[in-house]
Amino acid sequence: MMQHSVFARSVQDRWRGMFIAAVTLGVFFLFGMAVYKDVDLSLYNDFPVAIQTMMGISEGADVGTLAYGAIYGVYGALVLAVMALMAGAGVIAGEERNGTLGLLLGNPKSRSHVLVSKTAALILLLVFAIVVMGVAGRIVPVLLDVAVGEMEIESLMFHLLINTIFYGMLATAIGAWTGNGGLASGVSAGVMIVGLLGSGLLPLVSGAEEYAKIFPWYYFDGGRPVLNGINWGHMAVLVSASVVLFGLSLVGVNRRDLRAQSIGLTIVDRLRTNPLTQKLFERVAGTAKVSHIWVKTASEYQVLLIAASYHMFLMGGIAIALIYTAIDDSLLTLAEQLPDTLMALAGGGDISTPEGYYTIENFGLMAPIIFLMVTVTIGSRALAGEESKRTMGLLLANPISRRRVVIEKMVAMVALTGLLGVLTFVGTLIGSGLAGLGMDVGNIAAISLMATLLGLTFGSLALALSAATGQVKKAVFGTVGPALIFYLLDAFLPLSDRLAGYAKWSVFYYYSGNDPLVNGLHIGHAALLAGLSAGLVVAAVMLFNRRDLRQG
Amino acid sequence: MTNEAAILAEGLTKHYGEIRALNNLGLAVQPGEVFGFLGPNGAGKTTAIRTLMDEIRPTAGRASILGLDTHDKSVEIRRHIGYLPGDLAMYPGLTGQDTLKYFANLRGGVDWSYVEVLAERLNADLSKKVGNLSSGNRQKIGLIQAFMNRPEVIIMDEPSSGLDPLVQREFQTILRELAAEGNSVFLSSHTLSEVQRVADRVGIIRGGDLITVETVSSLRSKAMRRVEFEFGSDADSSVFSDISGVSNVVIEGRRIVLSYDGTMDVLLKAAMDHNDTVVDITTHEADLEDIFLTYYEDSAEDKGGSAS
Repeated sequence: MMQHSVFARSVQDRWRGMFIAAVTLGVFFLFGMAVYKDVDLSLYNDFPVAIQTMMGISEGADVGTLAYGAIYGVYGALVLAVMALMAGAGVIAGEERNGTLGLLLGNPKSRSHVLVSKTAALILLLVFAIVVMGVAGRIVPVLLDVAVGEMEIESLMFHLLINTIFYGMLATAIGAWTGNGGLASGVSAGVMIVGLLGSGLLPLVSGAEEYAKIFPWYYFDGGRPVLNGINWGHMAVLVSASVVLFGLSLVGVNRRDLRAQSIGLTIVDRLRTNPLTQKLFERVAGTAKVSHIWVKTASEYQVLLIAASYHMFLMGGIAIALIYTAIDDSLLTLAEQLPDTLMALAGGGDISTPEGYYTIENFGLMAPIIFLMVTVTIGSRALAGEESKRTMGLLLANPISRRRVVIEKMVAMVALTGLLGVLTFVGTLIGSGLAGLGMDVGNIAAISLMATLLGLTFGSLALALSAATGQVKKAVFGTVGPALIFYLLDAFLPLSDRLAGYAKWSVFYYYSGNDPLVNGLHIGHAALLAGLSAGLVVAAVMLFNRRDLRQG
Repeated sequence: MTNEAAILAEGLTKHYGEIRALNNLGLAVQPGEVFGFLGPNGAGKTTAIRTLMDEIRPTAGRASILGLDTHDKSVEIRRHIGYLPGDLAMYPGLTGQDTLKYFANLRGGVDWSYVEVLAERLNADLSKKVGNLSSGNRQKIGLIQAFMNRPEVIIMDEPSSGLDPLVQREFQTILRELAAEGNSVFLSSHTLSEVQRVADRVGIIRGGDLITVETVSSLRSKAMRRVEFEFGSDADSSVFSDISGVSNVVIEGRRIVLSYDGTMDVLLKAAMDHNDTVVDITTHEADLEDIFLTYYEDSAEDKGGSAS
């Protein structure tokens, strides 16, 4: 019944990513539990139940509940669901985009067989990841000597698995019906985020508690599996939904025409051929775009930049200010009592001041994520991307040195990240002005610059790894892994007086250690990040110069 | 640079661990010459070309193009050459025109009217996105980009792949024109007929070893052919046994199939003298495999060993 080769290949393709994600979450869990163990937790118990719910904290919080609830129950569930929906979107639509589905179906196997094999592979990988996390979840408390006798850890893991499979099936179904992988992962991620927020926030509004049940996320965590064990009713909902979605996938993939590998026309393409707009757009989108390597590279990341700017300018910049003024003072007072640990995870800061609020809501965690998303994407693909797409040979057939290619790619990264930095500055400035928060212009500029430099530092690391290996995946994992560890070190070490000094070993310390939004620019820290970035670019040039180009 | 070889390889070797992709390659391509690099898939053609282009670095040996070291002077070399990689990939989101403009901008000094002439001759559509072109039409864009800077040395890896016969002929005409102007062409192929049509000399490579370099005319005079006779009654195995140049004889009922290296006259006489009706004769060009076998036998004999 099952197509073993398809199954085996799908497992092979994705097991590393799953394994790294699971191990990273396990390490994250270790850090989290170590810190929770070190701090006074009595504060948590005084919070209203609703707020505890939203933060993944259960009543009568102790170290174990906090670690499992916040780290596995929220972060772990999110990361795994994202991995699952990306893989799900790739099941049918991914092979279609690569033009390999036709080849696969050239074999005497039906579309249903391919779908079943790939889905089975996806589920096996998810089980694998959950088992790794579950083992970490059992080992860590022993290592740290934390009592978790009452915890229903296996129940939580089971809920995690079923929840994750649900998002995988959702993306698979959309991909199977449309053949559009971007749509599949986008819509599924949207459902996930809305569900997470909806099921977390609605219970805070009296009378609306019941409505939380319309969101899938409710059936994952609504029953508090880590305390109450498996909620079979909730699991039945998610399992049935997954089965229905899988059935829909089978119908969808069989009833439509497969897409050929093709390149869609963008709006700009249409404007270039429209007689009215032809001249202008020919100049902007045609001639200018291919004038230099860096301009062409930069133009390839328009969508990424727009998405990042949307967040940094509109949401993180302007909207936060408006929300801040709208928030009830009492909530702010309450928030002041939140434990350092939770604040640290969000980047730390005093929530009762506009600067602190901005730090927690945006600059602490979101801004680094967004800036790194931009720079690591560009850096990892800069060289390795052209190699894996086999265009590097053609590019280097021109009389340009490898050094120049590296540098122009870096210029593209600097240009886009710089633009994002300026938009961050302008957005935050407008937000502060509109809401009358009176934040210092120089300090806003400082934090925007530091976010830019932080992004460039990790982007340069990705570039250097891209130059050294020629493999996008290695460059991404090799950058995101250290970034995560540096972030956690910087967030958690200062909470312990004993370990606070070691935070200086984290790159993130030089981004926010000086709290630029309050204290302005620390020239030394800025210079250090800039120097690190420059050093990595030099390394990238040297590494790229000395190796054989890969051929696909 | 007049008396210098356009391309010179000396002991060029590339090993990937245990895999010996290229062994001790030595060859010289002269100005004004079209050199065909012939070998089956996986013979080391692409490895040789990528080494010449400094995409990969030799394990041993060196090479020069226009007298310049392919590694140390690689950027300077690339001012003077046109290159078409094998298994061509380009930027799917760019149109043919954007792609060529991009490379023209990186090069500088490209005469756009010449690009238009080439596009016209090869019947290339520059307005479509490369990702939406068929492989043959994509290949045309690749050919134009290799020709557009009027290079002195042209290096092409399997340039004809995907081209229809008409365009192939036009492409070969362009190559001959460029060679007539004194430029050099180095192209790889796995089809003998293609190389014979366009090249002056042919290097035959297999398993990473350059087996021989021959002029196309001497390759032709070797005239390896596969000849098939059909007789009126069951064929006699002794018919062609005394003729030199006959090898690989297969007898199937009334038919005899053999490989032959020599003038057809001798073979025909033997067939006519034989006491039987010759019903039919078919001859066709020996395929690459036959030629390799011949050369393997030759080189084995040279070494005093026996052919396997």
